[in-house]
Amino acid sequence: MISTRKKILSFVLTAVGLFVLFIFAVNTGSLKVTPSELFSGLFIEYNPDVATIYDLRFPRIFIAMLGGAATAVSGVLLQAVMKNPLADPGIIGVSSGASLVAVIVTAFFPSLFFLTPMLAFIGGLIAFLLVYSLSWKGGFSPLRIILVGVAVNALCTGLMSAFNSATGSSYTGVASIVNANITQKTWDDFQTLAVYVVIGLIASFFVTNQCNLLSLEDKTAPSLGMNVTRSRIVISVIAVLLASISTAVVGAISFLGLIVPHIARLLVGSNHKVLVPYSILLGAFTLLLADTIGRTVASPYEISAAVVMSVIGGPFFIFLLRRSKQNYA
Amino acid sequence: MPDNIFEIKDLSFSYGNNRVIDGLNLKIKEGKITTLIGANGCGKSTLFNLMTKNLKPDDGIIFLAGQNVEQMKLKDFARKAAIVHQYNTAPSDITVEKLVEFGRTPYHTMGLSPNPDEDREKVKFALEITDTEKFKNKPVSQLSGGQKQRVWIAMALAQDTKILFLGEPTTYLDIRYQLQILRLVKRLNSEFNITVIMVLHDINQSLYYSDEIVAMQNGKVLSQGEPKEIITSKLIEDVYGVTLETGEIDGKPFVIPV
Ligand SMILES: Nc1ncnc2c1ncn2[C@@H]1O[C@H](COP(=O)(O)OP(=O)(O)OP(=O)(O)O)[C@@H](O)[C@H]1O
Ligand SMILES: [Mg+2]
Repeated sequence: MISTRKKILSFVLTAVGLFVLFIFAVNTGSLKVTPSELFSGLFIEYNPDVATIYDLRFPRIFIAMLGGAATAVSGVLLQAVMKNPLADPGIIGVSSGASLVAVIVTAFFPSLFFLTPMLAFIGGLIAFLLVYSLSWKGGFSPLRIILVGVAVNALCTGLMSAFNSATGSSYTGVASIVNANITQKTWDDFQTLAVYVVIGLIASFFVTNQCNLLSLEDKTAPSLGMNVTRSRIVISVIAVLLASISTAVVGAISFLGLIVPHIARLLVGSNHKVLVPYSILLGAFTLLLADTIGRTVASPYEISAAVVMSVIGGPFFIFLLRRSKQNYA
Repeated sequence: MPDNIFEIKDLSFSYGNNRVIDGLNLKIKEGKITTLIGANGCGKSTLFNLMTKNLKPDDGIIFLAGQNVEQMKLKDFARKAAIVHQYNTAPSDITVEKLVEFGRTPYHTMGLSPNPDEDREKVKFALEITDTEKFKNKPVSQLSGGQKQRVWIAMALAQDTKILFLGEPTTYLDIRYQLQILRLVKRLNSEFNITVIMVLHDINQSLYYSDEIVAMQNGKVLSQGEPKEIITSKLIEDVYGVTLETGEIDGKPFVIPV
């Protein structure tokens, strides 16, 4: 049992951590400004350093935060629908389905560029339907979902690399999706991401109750008047939307949708009314942290946030798998 | 003579080729405690699932107060009838009070309550009458079997329905907890006029606490009526395939189950 005080403390500390990290990320690189310079440069008077940071670093920072929030919430929702704490949009192939479509659009139909998020969403849905239908045998076995997901994921990732190589890696757009590189992101990218992510996050607040009810026995939720099939579909669509849009702009980030909800549950419990908002905060923090680490450890070279997440997330996933043997196998 | 709250006509249901409910007819009286008895596998749980919209009949109709149950929305049904299932699980960290609050779901739209005061009042009532208020802030996972069962009943009571289904509410409980549950059921029926429909495996408890007994055999109703009218050695033999003595204590029938 986690006391209300501890939950509030988690929220406050994470919010403070996010703010400090934000200031740090803004100041990571050749240009440096103090928080007060930053504030006055943004809101009061023109400052060339602040203007440069505003154009180059801000979009990337905000994109990392939005992408992290979206991926984390997507993980929470998928875990609720599949009753499987190991479900993650990256691991089960939703993200790679989305990025495969994004890559195809970018490489072959550049004129449809403005439709990329929507098309990526469709790609994510197809991957999800594939995993869902192939792993359903009168119920979900947690391990079967992961196995089918890994296969779908490998297929999409393979096809993507093939496109990238076959086109001589000449499309920087393609490469940036494949490598989940957010270095060159602009305010336009941020806008695309923000619109869909905000819609998805707001929608996720309306299904928190349904997520809670899904955690009861399968017969119990209908006895309380809930249409379980419809809820599953609605929650899945929101989850896939969040993961796909994030992937279309940020690239596929593995393990984030797994690690963040897991830690969040330890800190604030399994009630989705608290878990979803907290995962937004912690997801934003985690991806920004991964991106900032990637920018600093090997400076002046950059390691992409996705790579940082994989390096940290891989071992974590194995740890969870081993621990979950007793609980979910 | 009370009205029939449920009326079931020519009901049939099969799992694959296995016909489990076979042209069953049954009427259940409003405001009474009705108990289904029958051998393992005779179709009691299946009948429950059909009556509560968890399964769809192959044939036949189930009427709840004149309405075809199949055509009722889940939500409307959940405002009329609450069910305590035989098996229940809850997240390990959910508290008793939060779980009981789930019982208010049928009255909410998009997860929002139009009447939070009423919700609070009904939850409080449910906690009080099931005597679970004292551990309302404890996680359900830390309670004993009998306490848990009362919490699940409290969740169903928070639904504020006139009908309560109980699927084997006393299984796995020791005799003290069994009586606690059965006395609670009796009280819900006599004080709050809730129609109770339940499955019990203990014949004597069924006889003692029920107004009506429905004896099932191979997916059909073999016999139905007040305990002392229907209970005979022959019925026991037909239903369970064993010969037992029956008797009477203070005008109440009983069976010697050895
Ligand atoms: N989900 C299912 N799939 C296939 N067959 C089933 C299923 N559930 C029950 N059955 C079969 O239907 C028959 C009736 O089962 P049901 O559970 O309704 O009996 P019951 O009277 O509740 O028994 P018990 O007293 O053991 O609870 C049994 O033969 C059982 O094997
Ligand atoms: Mg049964």
